[in-house]
Amino acid sequence: MTATFEPQIVAFCCKYCAYAAGDLAGSMRLNYPPSVKVIQVPCTGRVDILHLLRAIEDGADAVYVAG
Amino acid sequence: MVQPYDNVMLVGCKGCVTVCNAGGLKEVQILASTLRIARKKEGRPLKVEERMLERQCDPEYIEQLRDSFDQYQAVLSMACGVGPQFLSEAYPGQKFFPTVNTRFMGGAVSHGIWEERCAGCGTCIIHYFDGMCPIARCSKSLQHGPCGGSAKGKCEISKDVVCIWDMIVRKKMEQGRLDDLRQYRAAKDWRTARDGGPRRSTREELVK
Repeated sequence: MTATFEPQIVAFCCKYCAYAAGDLAGSMRLNYPPSVKVIQVPCTGRVDILHLLRAIEDGADAVYVAG
Repeated sequence: MVQPYDNVMLVGCKGCVTVCNAGGLKEVQILASTLRIARKKEGRPLKVEERMLERQCDPEYIEQLRDSFDQYQAVLSMACGVGPQFLSEAYPGQKFFPTVNTRFMGGAVSHGIWEERCAGCGTCIIHYFDGMCPIARCSKSLQHGPCGGSAKGKCEISKDVVCIWDMIVRKKMEQGRLDDLRQYRAAKDWRTARDGGPRRSTREELVK
């Protein structure tokens, strides 16, 4: 790992809170790192272990569930 | 087990292992993904083909792998111990591995907890004991009452194991039928259990 290593993070965000917060941050012109890739889910209850595993399998360094 | 290989097939079973969350579609997908992640991390990617069979204890379903079984270096069965054996009998040229440790015949006492209930001894005596089987549920399979290791309703082997004899005697007393246990009975025929060697069951009307 080098000092410049930046983990790629897949974020599963609930439509009604975390995703809405991200949206609001956008309208407020706030930044978040481009290494975070947001995926909207109808509810974090929809997130399944397979979503998390598949993300890591396909190259994500971490997954993030927010809701 | 799969260390030497780089291309395997993982076969789940839609029967008992699906309902007990051990080897159904979900478990197949999770294990396959976990294996792929582990091997990718090692820098030696592993291809895992995910398959499901209706059951692995009937030849007609085993037959469904006929055209694909030899495209892999090894096949992993996520069924009970019957699966890898039926598979290797059908496809002698292939290598088969078990991926679950099959333990007992039982049921889910609550969500996510399973307990042994049947020892498959072949001569059922549950009715003598008010619906509780001391063969499967007593650590010593005692048939005539509790041993000295019974204390406060628990078996001495673990605080998580009930003394089934404590339960049997309690129920008989509650129902005023304790005298049932005084009856003399012929020795149990253990030839129908594993003591008689590997078993076979035949339904003549179903045999062609």
